[in-house]
Amino acid sequence: MYTAYKLTTDHTKIKFYIFLLLVGVLLLVSALAQYIVPHDPYLQDLSNALQPPSWQFPFGTDEYGRCLLSRVIVGATTTVYSSLALVLFTSVLGSIIGVFCGYIGGKTDAVIMRLSDVFLAFPGLVFAIAVAGVLGGGILNAAISLALIAWPRFTRIVRGQVLAVKNMSYMHAAKISGCPWYKMIFKHIMPNVIGPVVVTAALDIGVTIMELAGLSFLGLGAAPPTAEWGSMMSKGRSMMQTAPWTILFPGLAILLTVMLFNLFGDTIRDMFDPTQRRVSVVNCFCKLKNKVKVEGDVNV
Amino acid sequence: MRILKLVAVLASVGVIATSLVGCGNSNSQNSTASMTDSASTGGLTSEKVFNYGTTAYGVAMGNAGLDPHISYMGWSSVRYGVGETLFKFNEAMELEPWLATSYEQVDDTTIIIYLRDDVTFHNGNKMTGQAVKKCFERLLEKHDRAPMDLDVNSIDADGQTVTFTTNKPNPAFVNAICDPYGAIIDVDAGITEDDNVVGTGPYIAEKVSPTEINLKSYDNYWSGKAKVDKVNVKSITDGDTLTMALQSGEIDATQGLPYASLSLFQNHTDYTISSADTSRLYMMAYNYKTEVLQDVNVRKAIASAIDKEGFTKTLLNGNGTPAVGAFPSNFTFGNEKVTAPAYDLEAAKQLLTEAGYTDTNGDGYVDKNGQNLTIRWLTYTSRQELPKLAESAQATLKQIGIDVKVNATDNYKDFLKKGDFDIYASAFVAAPTGDSQYFFMTHLDDNSVGNTGSYHSERIQELMNQLRIEFDTDKRSDLAIQIQQQVLDDNAYTFASHLKMSFVTKKGVTGFTAHPSDYYEITNKLDIN
Amino acid sequence: MYVRRRRCYIVKYVLKRLFMVIPILLGITFLSFALMQTASGDVIDAIYEQAGGVPSEEIVAAKRAELGLDKPFIVQYFIWLGGVLTGNMGNSYVSNRPVFQDFMSHLPATVILTLSSIFITVLFSIPLGILSAVKHNKITDYIIRILTFVGNAMPGFFLSLVLLYLFSVQLKWLPATGNNGFVSIILPTVTLAIAMTAKYTRQVRAAVLDELKKDYVLGARSRGVKERIILYFSVLKSSLLTIVTLLGLSIGSLLGGTAIIESIFMWPGVGKLAVDAITMRDYPVIQMYVIWMAVIFVVINLLTDIIYYYLDPRIRLQKER
Repeated sequence: MYTAYKLTTDHTKIKFYIFLLLVGVLLLVSALAQYIVPHDPYLQDLSNALQPPSWQFPFGTDEYGRCLLSRVIVGATTTVYSSLALVLFTSVLGSIIGVFCGYIGGKTDAVIMRLSDVFLAFPGLVFAIAVAGVLGGGILNAAISLALIAWPRFTRIVRGQVLAVKNMSYMHAAKISGCPWYKMIFKHIMPNVIGPVVVTAALDIGVTIMELAGLSFLGLGAAPPTAEWGSMMSKGRSMMQTAPWTILFPGLAILLTVMLFNLFGDTIRDMFDPTQRRVSVVNCFCKLKNKVKVEGDVNV
Repeated sequence: MRILKLVAVLASVGVIATSLVGCGNSNSQNSTASMTDSASTGGLTSEKVFNYGTTAYGVAMGNAGLDPHISYMGWSSVRYGVGETLFKFNEAMELEPWLATSYEQVDDTTIIIYLRDDVTFHNGNKMTGQAVKKCFERLLEKHDRAPMDLDVNSIDADGQTVTFTTNKPNPAFVNAICDPYGAIIDVDAGITEDDNVVGTGPYIAEKVSPTEINLKSYDNYWSGKAKVDKVNVKSITDGDTLTMALQSGEIDATQGLPYASLSLFQNHTDYTISSADTSRLYMMAYNYKTEVLQDVNVRKAIASAIDKEGFTKTLLNGNGTPAVGAFPSNFTFGNEKVTAPAYDLEAAKQLLTEAGYTDTNGDGYVDKNGQNLTIRWLTYTSRQELPKLAESAQATLKQIGIDVKVNATDNYKDFLKKGDFDIYASAFVAAPTGDSQYFFMTHLDDNSVGNTGSYHSERIQELMNQLRIEFDTDKRSDLAIQIQQQVLDDNAYTFASHLKMSFVTKKGVTGFTAHPSDYYEITNKLDIN
Repeated sequence: MYVRRRRCYIVKYVLKRLFMVIPILLGITFLSFALMQTASGDVIDAIYEQAGGVPSEEIVAAKRAELGLDKPFIVQYFIWLGGVLTGNMGNSYVSNRPVFQDFMSHLPATVILTLSSIFITVLFSIPLGILSAVKHNKITDYIIRILTFVGNAMPGFFLSLVLLYLFSVQLKWLPATGNNGFVSIILPTVTLAIAMTAKYTRQVRAAVLDELKKDYVLGARSRGVKERIILYFSVLKSSLLTIVTLLGLSIGSLLGGTAIIESIFMWPGVGKLAVDAITMRDYPVIQMYVIWMAVIFVVINLLTDIIYYYLDPRIRLQKER
């Protein structure tokens, strides 16, 4: 039994490194996108519009005669980095608020928790469209609107963890021995909450990419002529029958990227928290509950 | 366990199948529609049923319902053959009698309309002058735009004549009552809660909902009973769904297919396409408050660098025609009567040089006094063609060294208010009632809402004053040409294209043709063979 | 004695939670109202823009005054709130019909689609998840897992278009649009169910794997209890908790409508109603939708908590303490 367990961890580690490598490659491609594209992704050539895949244009061209391969590569920058930035931002912000609430407690905690209830109950779509209305469309504004409704998810996870840790005896001990508050937070609380946050964040990346694609579908994502996978797909959808490559390649890019990040997130979960599955069901339930918004938005 | 396995296997087969389709769909095009016509046409009974899918009906369009006196519902009433107006437009957008036989302009403010004697409402009541009077009174009381357009002082009815007097001379009065809000309904019969009305058209609405209208033919229609017994108008707002519904045979005809889908039906033996140029105009206004654009050469250079042909052919898939003037060719004062700068990049570069712009620092953009020539291009996205126009212009203007910054936003009104733009590209139905005055008043008059570029021309003001009181059709047409030519000579606007609207029908559907006015769709001529 | 204390506790708990809905409702209706107000353009602009006309300022101003849109937004909010408190949700600015009735007429479609897709999801994901867990790290497991990852990463609109193309255009088995009775529900249901099945299968698999590792399973096995019995009676029962929770959440979000699926399949549910209302800035309809979402959120959370309370003794004891 013991050896079997050991084996799985090794296995997990290998998987982790493989996925890490793949994610690294993806990020590198995104970062260097501008330099490795075969054509200018924004150069229009109407005489070359809607060419099927060929040696010159391996992914074909779109309705403006732009090289789709180049646009998919450049689109990686927009899609992947905006999702990463978004997840990073919400997880950090949400966690800070969560630690704060959990540690301080009392009225402030209650007020912020009610506020997070409001945000959780708020239909994400209404919010996104309203924000797009206020700020104008565009990928940044779409990201902002998603960020504004995503933070309570992290806040709740972290707050729960903090509350659980707060009453442990070693915390009391630390407090009695005169440990200052910042040291309490960084030394004693943080290490205990970081795991679930990283896991949730990693699993959130794929979801975020899909959410951005959904917003783009509704015309609230990236503004033209920005290359972004979701908006490329939604533009190409009316050409599904006449020029299928316009939707197929950005679609495959989304599919593979989301799958990669999901697999990566799963592996991180296994790594970080091998006992997670034996944690009480209560804990598990709380985590699931916090996913309610994720689903709501995917289905829009 | 065995059952469990079976279900699991079935499920995975299902999932595999769908994901395979996702990958394989690129090869499987073009093998469509071999068994199109078996699905519809009412089965055993000989009753003819016509299913019509359109993107133009729905709550968002303000036309979900048939009461012509509310918002844009009159459009639905006239389009789907329930209501009819006193006069209508022909293919050249000239007036033709419909429920009326003729009119007489007694003096500048009095007009007598003579009604047909053989028209009955769907409830059997005769359409009399009194009924028309009541209908217009309700229109003027309830509608938002009609009171301003018509400016009526009094209405008198006597037998089959109706006399309107207006407060001021209104040469476009008869054109105005051809707007679908002028559809004649029997007001006494009441209007149902779901905005159904008693009209005079070939079809009676049996059921009206925000997503569907079910029509049946009216036996005593004055111009002959319709050939098709039942018509179902279905609102299908998603273009791809609409395409596929036509391909699957669920519907017999469509309006509003996405441009990209049209090629699926072009030159296809199972489908017929009917198109007409409409007066929906895509145009660019130059902001006279922008210093660089005050130079006519710069405006002219930009006008010469707009590839209207490429825009309409490639980006609109031929669903538009390049525009010269504000009105399409089928108008007597349309495209051919005026001239505008042609697409010529060399000439455009020459004009920029004359204006003092050359590329001194070799960055690809022309400059003057160390400043690159940059244009803020404002437009919005709710009309899918506008972002395309912007992207196309961005590419061609770059070739003459102008840097275009596109701002496609639905907040465009804020930018307009702040004056934060150099070129504003918009869409507008230039002549909804076949008359030119409406467009000029809304876009060229000094303080009009549509004059976003603060364009001012003494000569145009003068010509428009003449137009306001001119009743003679030929002279009006002549004035319209002069005004347009002046606008084009000043390069105050560039008219990029007119939208073409298209119906795609299954083979065998006849009497269903696109009309330039966008008002007339279902008539008693419609038939399925 | 103990039972009564328990019942007393749960009643108090439910009341407290239901009471909580009031500040949430006030908060989010105000928030949505404020957001929509700050967004540029209003319903009047939207209506005329659709028709492609430019009405004169007088017409626009008159129309605005008629709807009360010229008042400061705080005043508008309280007028609306006053209406709600007297049981009047107002009329839609666009269709001029009573919002409450309009909304209620769209609700059945959403409820039916929710139930059917949840049903299909449960029908497939539980057996698939169990199979995957039982065949842990065997070829069946890998195939199922790959499929779940694909299903999870496929954008809904893409999937629906592909299904539509295959079953409506190519095979002509199913209608493309949504009002032909029973057959119309198949495509939207399948589209929704595929994504959810992918998600659920993973969760069920994880839950079953957990249970299978537990000591009692080992004990049962060593006592010679049949594998099938262990699976059905012990493992499945314990995994049920996870599934019930997930179901609650999915039902909640599905009841909010699925705008994309609804607009592609012309399914007349509340999601599409909401999106249309938002693009038209039709405040009364938006507010109705927002209230509905908040109520669902609170009620579903409460229900899952209560179910949990009864299903899991550990929580029950913890809370009563």
